[in-house]
Amino acid sequence: MPRYGIAIDTTKCIGCHSCRVACQNQNGLDYTETFNWIKDKERGKYPSYDKEYVPLQCNHCENAPCQRVCPTGATYTTPEGVVLVNKKTCVGCKYCMEACPYKMRIILHHEGIVVKCRFCIEMVREGGTPACVTTCPTQVRIFGDLDDPNSEISRFIAESGAEPLRTDLGTLPKIYYKRS
Amino acid sequence: MKKFGMTRRKFLAGAAVGSASLVASQYMSFDTWAAEKAVSDEVTVTPTLCDACGNWCAINVYTKGGRIWKATGNPIAGLNKGRICVKGHAMLHDVYNKDRIKSPLKRVGANKFEPISWEQAYKEVGAKLKEIVSKNGAESVFLVQYPEGNEALTKRFANALGSPNVFSHASTCFLPRNIGWWLNTGYAKPEQDLENARHVVFIGRNPAAGLQLRMLVDMAKAKDKGARYVVVDPRFSEMAAMGHQWIQIRPGTDLALLLSIAHVMIKENLYQKDFIEKYSVGFEEWASKIDEYTPRWASEKTTIPERVIVKLAHDMAEAAPSSLIHRGYHGAMGTQYKNSLQLVRAVGCINGLLGNYNQKGGMFNAPKVKLGKLAADKFPQVPELDMPMADGSGDPERYPLTPVGLGLSQAIPELALAGKLKAGFVYHNNPLRTCPNPARMIEGYRKLDLLVSFDYVLSETASLAHYILPESYYLERDDVVHTNHCYTSKQVAIRQAVIKPLYDTKPMVQILIELAPHCGIGEYFNFTLEEYNRAALAPLNIPLERLKKEGVIDLGDQWKPGEPKFVTPSGKLEIASSILKDLNLPEVPVWEEPLVSPNPKDPYEFRLIHGKQAHLTHARSINQKYLKEITALNDIARVWIHPERAKALGIKDGECMTITSPVGKGRARAKVTEGIHKDCVFLPSGYGVFAKNLQRAYGFGTSYNDYLPTYFDPVLGHVMANEVLVRVERTQS
Repeated sequence: MPRYGIAIDTTKCIGCHSCRVACQNQNGLDYTETFNWIKDKERGKYPSYDKEYVPLQCNHCENAPCQRVCPTGATYTTPEGVVLVNKKTCVGCKYCMEACPYKMRIILHHEGIVVKCRFCIEMVREGGTPACVTTCPTQVRIFGDLDDPNSEISRFIAESGAEPLRTDLGTLPKIYYKRS
Repeated sequence: MKKFGMTRRKFLAGAAVGSASLVASQYMSFDTWAAEKAVSDEVTVTPTLCDACGNWCAINVYTKGGRIWKATGNPIAGLNKGRICVKGHAMLHDVYNKDRIKSPLKRVGANKFEPISWEQAYKEVGAKLKEIVSKNGAESVFLVQYPEGNEALTKRFANALGSPNVFSHASTCFLPRNIGWWLNTGYAKPEQDLENARHVVFIGRNPAAGLQLRMLVDMAKAKDKGARYVVVDPRFSEMAAMGHQWIQIRPGTDLALLLSIAHVMIKENLYQKDFIEKYSVGFEEWASKIDEYTPRWASEKTTIPERVIVKLAHDMAEAAPSSLIHRGYHGAMGTQYKNSLQLVRAVGCINGLLGNYNQKGGMFNAPKVKLGKLAADKFPQVPELDMPMADGSGDPERYPLTPVGLGLSQAIPELALAGKLKAGFVYHNNPLRTCPNPARMIEGYRKLDLLVSFDYVLSETASLAHYILPESYYLERDDVVHTNHCYTSKQVAIRQAVIKPLYDTKPMVQILIELAPHCGIGEYFNFTLEEYNRAALAPLNIPLERLKKEGVIDLGDQWKPGEPKFVTPSGKLEIASSILKDLNLPEVPVWEEPLVSPNPKDPYEFRLIHGKQAHLTHARSINQKYLKEITALNDIARVWIHPERAKALGIKDGECMTITSPVGKGRARAKVTEGIHKDCVFLPSGYGVFAKNLQRAYGFGTSYNDYLPTYFDPVLGHVMANEVLVRVERTQS
């Protein structure tokens, strides 16, 4: 069984937001609802001034705080390591939204349930790749199996030393960032 | 879902549906809703071309239950290589935008329209046009368009009427870039082999926001292999975020930087001598004129330290011939400065010093497909018109280098006010918002006796039209065969309808065919779109059915590096241009001051510069809710200002600034950032919609055109969009 993750190379991100809308379309989200954000970070003064675009989405943590706090068990982890929300058992209590240290969950007000990045799992199970990965003009994201040392993502992480965000939290995220 | 949507639409349309249906829909249970959704989940996929900007990327559009759902990129398409940008995804939704025009319209008052039938619209437009032509001649008629796809047929329409006045957006976009390259190499728009280039310099060009997907795909790959990108720009652009070095330059002085790079390369013998000797003319003349353009001289002009200039020249030369300066688009080399033409000439010549023409990792010309034409015996050809345009384009006495068919669209109001233009057709363009000085534009367009728009929404220009013959949305229409996907190989592509038109709208080609007989030129439109397309594909031996099934077909003929080829008068790279010499213009690239420069002692005075954002195209995309949300959420419609200048004016980040120019006054919130040169403020473009019928975008933000006087560059006539000084102050509450 693969264990899916995404590696993100922020040095190639141009902040175009194509991932955001590709994802919104794939998942039938309205314009204010999103599973993807891009934060820009400015540093320094010219000539050492720099701006970095950091794409953000659910980290699909191994040790997911959102899953621990869910009172109905709606948040669960698939055998592929993808953290999902069961629409039928979610009661919209938003505990998970509070518990997520990365604040990567949103509530769909008209349905009263909490949703988030799903790694486009139906497409992936049919051999596809998540929409945010395939649309990216500069190939910022690499999707693949973290357990296969020969996969593109594993090799990328090994070569670049990419790391998850806030490793100090012990959440064991599956999104890795190469940031310089 | 479908039923729910229908009920709601009817209700909104004011049909005689009582409140019962609204109540019913409010109380529809989740199970009913889910059941209906499940029934209508059939998925279809149709290959077609996007229309979110001028690139026309090849996309496969999915519908679910008859509704547009999503799109994926066509992997073989030369222009987008399997990718889709943010606009491509978002504009899919606009087919359902409630601001769309739902039938032909006739204007009956200020911003007041009534629906009419196509027959009535054709008849009235035809009668009025004939009257104008008989009174004022066909030269009083013009067409202004964003020339894409159907341009051969719209031009055919104008020329059949007897008018040479076919305008485009060129004078507000790319005019000097095309003319400069044409003078240098004989090709107006050379490509660059970014996949293999090892060192690329971008002069004001920002392909990461003025998006061309193929470039980004290639550059991302090349970056992994060690390619180096240097971005020369007054502000830290999106391209700079992906690049290795940002060189901050005083706006309007890029030419000085390039002349000094040439100086270093020539003085230090760092140029490709074999190439220059064999394939160029005028090197000696140029070499004899660049003594004064030392790095020290350029440093004073550009504010770039001398050592940075020298190092850049060395780095470029070291990577030659897989080293290039990007051919440019709107920024710096486009229609922004008085010295833009000289700048493009210098860029072409330095690419020559790097010897990169037709080399791996250098400049090349995309292979072109020659499409077939309608058989002349069955379909009469329109007689060629050999006359300049009303604005002087193509006139040896006025703008000899500006091509007929591109024209100067900012001249239209002047010509209308002078009574030289009386009737106009506007296709796929919104000159009232995309040209400078909107007050002047409105005044001029109001003077016309007949204005016909083919728009799908009531844009600024369409709001002034007497008649609107609405074109179907790009997801609802068939268009002509297209060759824009030729990049490194020959390709043909086609746009086709994904869904049936939602409203009483028609494909543009159909409108022209039906309108022509009423204008007395029916004989030139005696064909169908299918006949036209089959004739286009005939020489390629490709059945139309196959193209429609595949969307894009690759015909091979892959570009390979080899002998450089130029189609200039000398057959060589013209460092010294014989055409410019004949016109008494500088033969080789030399320094030319920008038209204006801010007074360094005045704390309030700035040059106003502008540029694109990746998620917006010109003026129309901000009315799209998914795109507007990106602006709102990230607060990126703000005007950039340097911290030192902002501090001197008492402006803090996020505070409101008042911007004043000789022709306009507006307000914008400040983005105080180190990422901009002290001499200028940067206004992101794509905002400032003043068409009341674009309900989501109306009144949001401001446009650089609001501050720009109507200029005509003395040589080409373009708008010189960055040659404007504005006064910036903290808005007094």
